[in-house]
Amino acid sequence: MVAARTRLDIATENLANVSSDGFRRCLARGRISAHGVEITRVVSPDHGSLRHTGRPFDLAIVGDGVFRVRDAHGVVTTTRDGAFTRDRDGVLRDDAGRALVGAHGVVRVADGTAIDEHGIIVRDGTTVNRLELPPGSVVRAGYIETANVDAIGEMVGVLTAQRSFESAEKVVAAIDATHQKAANDVARVK
Amino acid sequence: MDRALFAAATGMTAQQRNLDLLSNNLANADVAGFKESSETFAVLAAPGETGVGTVGIGEHVVFTQGKLAKSNGPFDVAIDGPGFFVLRDGRGGRVYTRDGAFTRAADGTLRNAQGYRLDGVRIPPDALTATTAEDGTVSITTPRGTRAIAQLKLAEFPAPEALRAIGGTLFVATAQAGRPRLVTPGDTHGPSLRFGMLETSNVSIIESMMQMLTAQRAYEANAKGVQAADEMLRIANNLQRG
Repeated sequence: MVAARTRLDIATENLANVSSDGFRRCLARGRISAHGVEITRVVSPDHGSLRHTGRPFDLAIVGDGVFRVRDAHGVVTTTRDGAFTRDRDGVLRDDAGRALVGAHGVVRVADGTAIDEHGIIVRDGTTVNRLELPPGSVVRAGYIETANVDAIGEMVGVLTAQRSFESAEKVVAAIDATHQKAANDVARVK
Repeated sequence: MDRALFAAATGMTAQQRNLDLLSNNLANADVAGFKESSETFAVLAAPGETGVGTVGIGEHVVFTQGKLAKSNGPFDVAIDGPGFFVLRDGRGGRVYTRDGAFTRAADGTLRNAQGYRLDGVRIPPDALTATTAEDGTVSITTPRGTRAIAQLKLAEFPAPEALRAIGGTLFVATAQAGRPRLVTPGDTHGPSLRFGMLETSNVSIIESMMQMLTAQRAYEANAKGVQAADEMLRIANNLQRG
């Protein structure tokens, strides 16, 4: 029953984030152990599909790699969500206000700045910064990577979890009935 | 199951919000100069922990260029490229817009539908017609000939996404948007003006409808998640009864 509950947690979590750009769904991996079925969470490596936005600083990574972003406290985290906009100082920030960090520090842009598919940031013909990407990955400007959640698949996950919970409940009830028999009927003196 | 219930509920809230924005975009699809809005969603989680649903982290206006369409208003003008028209409200405050449908008021000013006047232009009473060139020069035709009377300038912001929308197609400046820079249109890199045209909204009806359908289905799927979590809680509560 605990396993079914964890499965439901994972499926609903994935479903909730169907509109979170750059979100990677969690997979439920079941394993039989001494304590019954154990569920572990594995983040799916599949890429989400790209959505065209036309905004110049919406970036999507095709292939592996992440964007590094720095929050107001200087903490650097990584994300696949590439929806960046320019603030008044020309710094590219995501919607949570975190600044995009490249190989040469925070990425600054101005009119005429372009980001090519290798993540090189060019301003008026000179390279000013570079996004660190693993070899083989490219950046698409004007696109956003959507969540890799398949709503139908997750629905099936929700239903499966619910049914296996019900089955487990039957087993618990059966075991309970057996115990009850053992305790009340077997040793009864007629 | 509390976790699942909560996650599914945040999913429903997110899709509700999504639908609100999409329907507002669709409702304004025919409004000249309207810019669509979208909301960004992210995983709701404490740092280093697994998520417990989703949360909206900010709505922003999408300032992509709308299509330019011929119009027949007396002083319709469209911006091709970035920038905003500078309007003045009744108290002299600046308001910015991409909607270039102006009409001539009795005092000679050019006013938009809400009554805000276009900054820097006053048409003399003897003018028969007024036009604007691509570089923003406003000229009038009088019985005695044609002459230039004003120069239209556009405002450009370092971060237009941070402007505050005050209804319809109007925006006011904020500290986050940065200091506006007045530019003369017609430059090769900058914006230019098109007289006798209006910029249509940048809402794509087909795309918005498609997103609306997806949002609706996602809402239903999350509602099913709530139902399943609830059902499992009911079963768990009934375990003792045998």
